Amino acid sequence: MNGPPVNTSRTTLYRDKQNAKLMGVCAGIADYTGVNALWVRLGFIGLTFVAGGVTIPFYFAAGLLLNKKPPHLYVDREEQQYWQRVRQSPKRTAREIRARMRDIDRRLAEVETYYVSSNPRLTAEIERLR
Amino acid sequence: MEEVLAIVAIFIALPWIILHYVTKWKTSATITSDDEALLEELYSLAKRLDERMDTVERLVASDNPDFKPARLIHDREIDNEKLRELDRMLAEKKGAHQ
Repeated sequence: MNGPPVNTSRTTLYRDKQNAKLMGVCAGIADYTGVNALWVRLGFIGLTFVAGGVTIPFYFAAGLLLNKKPPHLYVDREEQQYWQRVRQSPKRTAREIRARMRDIDRRLAEVETYYVSSNPRLTAEIERLR
Repeated sequence: MEEVLAIVAIFIALPWIILHYVTKWKTSATITSDDEALLEELYSLAKRLDERMDTVERLVASDNPDFKPARLIHDREIDNEKLRELDRMLAEKKGAHQ
């Protein structure tokens, strides 16, 4: 499986034809925000009832104007959630990445300390020489 | 009195709220395609390093049984996934024995 083309934007709103019920606008909004598609659809239907059908032309306008989501935009679910977080707050995502890097740094330091302080291979060598 | 309130609500308060959020949305920091590429690279880099670190920890732990890598963040989905698979395999093995 090959990834998406490099130039495809992951921060634009698409309509998600793969998970669509009608034109994929609600599914696209759900994919963009990370809110469950069911709630987006219920909210849209509720809004249509409250506003007396004013939202329906907006739906079709969005359906015509938005581009279709490329089929392999995300490799897996984790990557999809990552980009949803990026769209919500890039700053927070940058902090999360930093936290992840620090965690790796800490774990690496732990392995290093283990080898430096206990040095099991050296003790084994000494044992063998006795 | 009520009509005045309704007119004020529709023609002043409503556009006010809408324009307020529009300006807020416009002034909020948007990320460029360069930022996007950077974030993508950081994501894959962090993921790769995390996996490499997992492998290194596992190698060290298999060589030295007294080495126990401490996890700062417990109960992470990415770790749980592998543990669940292990559980499933153990259960299958048990089922095959009986």
